[in-house]
Amino acid sequence: MTNLLEVTGLTKRFGGLVAVKDMHLTIQGGEILGLIGPNGSGKSTVMKLIMGIERPNAGSVKIDGEEVAGLPSHQIARKGVGIVFQHSRPLHRQTVLENIKLALLPDSLLQLFAAAHVEERAHEIARRVRLDHVVNRLPGTLPFADLRRLELARAIARNPKVVLVDEPFAGLTAPEVADFSNLIASFREEGHAVLLVDHNVKGVANLSDRILAMYLGEFITQGSAEDVMRNETVRRVYLGGAIGHAARPEAPEVRDELLRVENVSVFYGKAQALDDVSLHVGKGEFVSVVGLNGAGKTTLFNAISALVPSTGVVAFDGADLDGKTAGQIARGGIVQCPESRELFGEMSVRENLDLGGHHLPTEEAHQRLEWLLDLFPILKTRAGQDARTLSGGEQQMLTIARALMMKPRLLILDEPTLGLAPVILEQLSKALETLRQTTDITVLLGEQNVTFALPHADRVYVLEHGRFVWEGPPDRFATEAGAQFL
Amino acid sequence: MKFLQILVDGFAISSLYGVGAIGFTLIFGVSGVLNLSHGSIMVAAAIGAWAMAGDLGFGAVGGAAGGVAVGVALALITYTLVVRPIQTSSRIAREEKEIFVLTGTLLWGIMVQEALAYLFTSNPKTVRPLIAGVVDIFGVRTPTQEILTALISWAAIGLLWLLVNRTKAGKVLLAASINPRGLTLLGFELPTIYFWVWALYGLLAGVAGVLLGSFLGVSSDNVGQLTASAFSIVVLGGLGSVTGSLIGAYVVGYLETITAYSGAPSIRTVPVLLLLVLVVYIRPQGLMGRR
Amino acid sequence: MLKSKTFPSLVGILLLLALLPFGVSGYILGLLTLGYYTAVFAMSWDLLFGFAGEVNFGPSFLIGVGAYTAGLLNHYYTWPIWACVISGGAMSIIAGLLLAVPALRLKGPYFGLVTLVAVLMLQNFIVLFAGITGGEIGLDLPDVLAVDDGSNYWIALAFMGVSGLILFGLSRSAVGLILQASGQDAVQAGALGFNVTKHKLAAFCISALFSGLSGAMLIFYEGTVSVGTVVDIAVGVQVIIAAVLGGRRTILGAALGAVFLIGMGEMLRPLGEASTFVVSAIALVTIMFVPGGFLGALLHGEKR
Repeated sequence: MTNLLEVTGLTKRFGGLVAVKDMHLTIQGGEILGLIGPNGSGKSTVMKLIMGIERPNAGSVKIDGEEVAGLPSHQIARKGVGIVFQHSRPLHRQTVLENIKLALLPDSLLQLFAAAHVEERAHEIARRVRLDHVVNRLPGTLPFADLRRLELARAIARNPKVVLVDEPFAGLTAPEVADFSNLIASFREEGHAVLLVDHNVKGVANLSDRILAMYLGEFITQGSAEDVMRNETVRRVYLGGAIGHAARPEAPEVRDELLRVENVSVFYGKAQALDDVSLHVGKGEFVSVVGLNGAGKTTLFNAISALVPSTGVVAFDGADLDGKTAGQIARGGIVQCPESRELFGEMSVRENLDLGGHHLPTEEAHQRLEWLLDLFPILKTRAGQDARTLSGGEQQMLTIARALMMKPRLLILDEPTLGLAPVILEQLSKALETLRQTTDITVLLGEQNVTFALPHADRVYVLEHGRFVWEGPPDRFATEAGAQFL
Repeated sequence: MKFLQILVDGFAISSLYGVGAIGFTLIFGVSGVLNLSHGSIMVAAAIGAWAMAGDLGFGAVGGAAGGVAVGVALALITYTLVVRPIQTSSRIAREEKEIFVLTGTLLWGIMVQEALAYLFTSNPKTVRPLIAGVVDIFGVRTPTQEILTALISWAAIGLLWLLVNRTKAGKVLLAASINPRGLTLLGFELPTIYFWVWALYGLLAGVAGVLLGSFLGVSSDNVGQLTASAFSIVVLGGLGSVTGSLIGAYVVGYLETITAYSGAPSIRTVPVLLLLVLVVYIRPQGLMGRR
Repeated sequence: MLKSKTFPSLVGILLLLALLPFGVSGYILGLLTLGYYTAVFAMSWDLLFGFAGEVNFGPSFLIGVGAYTAGLLNHYYTWPIWACVISGGAMSIIAGLLLAVPALRLKGPYFGLVTLVAVLMLQNFIVLFAGITGGEIGLDLPDVLAVDDGSNYWIALAFMGVSGLILFGLSRSAVGLILQASGQDAVQAGALGFNVTKHKLAAFCISALFSGLSGAMLIFYEGTVSVGTVVDIAVGVQVIIAAVLGGRRTILGAALGAVFLIGMGEMLRPLGEASTFVVSAIALVTIMFVPGGFLGALLHGEKR
């Protein structure tokens, strides 16, 4: 079979940042390729480059032998590429059928009425994706899975040679995942080339003929799912290498409960991001929640911090947090260091820290600042610099230091190691160790990097697709949960 | 002689334009709102000062203070009754919020303008100057009030600078314009911050309005043109940049003054508009804008 | 589908409206005439906003260009009305393209600003060249459409009817579907194979054409062309309020809103200055609590 999609030397820069570097991949007709990589690996950018939503700085993209790199997306689409975005918006005032018909229309200003066969074909496609029973309904009345089906329908409407699917199973329940897999598999039967992009290898492993792993914009390896997951670089990127141990203070037998999360669910529109999760954290404990990107860690933390609405109960030190604003919760002792850090880029390191200590009496804030600058010496050196001029690792330290200025009783860290070099991880690890040994702080850590998450933890939860699938002490993790983790 | 006159007059008007424009850009930078009822706050403050100084007998200083208070009050009302409800409304889709806020403030501005015209007629009014009399500057006879206008404007700008760069509260303001979410994570209540920012805005717009009223006089008919001027200044200087607004204010102030003196006063705004068109086509983010 | 039910009923309504001159006073006919021309302004605006997603804060730029082109041609060269109107429409298209260029490069508030600036510039230029344009006072036109209220009414009704049917039809057509997609999510529309730029430009041209034609027709109804009736920001604001009140993205709602506004403006005239206040207040409350407008609320009520 011919290569329906051939990408070589693809490079894309955003200002100084190289998002994709010298990327290459090929997909034949009747093949499904799974492109995986953690956040920031560039996989979404690769997809956008193929579709023409972004213009590559260098490289070639060939659709069935025809060069399309640099063309605008509507032309590439007409040459036979369909894409299913992760967040798609159908036209809400139009029915499902009309939404599908839109995908079948030619790019003409003069067409007032759709050609006769369009209606028929739209019905056909609806039947194919099993939306035929809801063709005349409005998208707003449909459940999430059907909306995803609609997106699939629009992408394949013109029978494209290549189909790109971004996070095919995000937000779907297990039976829906199986259904979708069959649907996507049927494209393969028809001889299309399919590219699936996802964080989660497990999800796409069953469906893909081949897996290709990316990291920091570059190709790492490709092959069968098992081969790829055995690859050292891949393991390091996902798991962080060998799992060691960090010094932990003596654990009391029974701890007072500090945080209790009960039956919490979060919906983003129709998609369920968190499904009835419960966890508890004791005073002085270090709890790690491990899970891949998209598993729901950030959603969980945002639910605790009241940054997103949720159902269920979140109790802190015995008191229900219901009704409190995010600001109140932060002042009340739960301080979060989000994945995105949320620093004040144009303000100095010192100013960022000062803002953290804003609510403290001046003398106390001053003392705390001194203590933190000792704990993170690199911040002392850079105290006068603008936060955005700091390196990734330094910014992460600043984020944590700033949070610590608030005298948190519970510190939530969301993926602190994302994109950081190993030597920085060591420093971070040491700082956390010192913190635990010198203060009675309680920590809730969310990480994909198991190597970092496990050594400090007293207990580990595993989060997958918005649900906890395992809980236990770190020493049992490797044997019980580790194997299935990826 | 004329040149010196232009220099002096232009300086005074640019300074007070600057105060108003900084307020306008502050609200945009922190609250994300382009307040199309800006002119109405300035005019309301001016008319308030005029009414209180004269009819209510508060005298020049009392009237001026009262006028500024009107500015603050109106700004807060604008935020609470118009902007905040739209921003937090569940009935309006997130992508449309900006447009609705723009349209809402536009309508509100018209309402205030008409209310002012109804209550006070649209005849131009001059706010009683704080210090009467005339002073000679390089041979140009200048009303003392005009000097005062420039001085007060710069005092306001200076105080604002001190506030933002030297006080804790000012740092919070700056942070809010950079990353509101970061502030929430640090335990700040954004609604409270926005309230204070709008109050500050009302203060600035009020001062600008009262000064304008004492310098050139105002009428409810000026509302639209004042909003347009502020808009122009801020776009020229760069939306969200305080320094840019200041520079823009001087460019616009002087352009208008020069045009008024050389040509017909009625087309005072034309060169500014032309400049605006150029800017929008060539460098839409303005002189110092970052977005 | 909706199409099959709506068109006949619309034609029916138009026929009913055509009967009004046989029983209704000239005063009301005059109001409705004005309302119909405003309806076309509002419908054109809705096509651009509701369908192409572009917020035009200065619709009176397009209206004014069309009106003044027609007015100047008639006043100085005594061209026949139909020639002036068509020329007005053509010039408006050019004006629309002028607006479209920055629109396609600028986002959000910046584009809104450009539209506002356009109106202010037009207004200032007309005043500047008062010798030719008649400035604030305006120009008297040698020709008018008709003298009696009834004929004027029918002409306006016919014009609105045809324009409305075309605009509404477009919104419901395949092209309208593409426009909506372009306005809602340009990236997705591109990925579906549509040249969004081309379609948005087309939307600008159509919106401009009808705005300009209606503006040109309006001045021949009134017999004069002046800044206050076709260029002033207030005119533009009225158009926007009409479209929003009536219901965005419905085209028909805009027409409803326009007639309602004109009617209400008259009814409140005894209040004098306060009438604008009341209208603006109603509009403000509407956009805050019923953002879908009259028709929007009605339609949503059905579909729920």
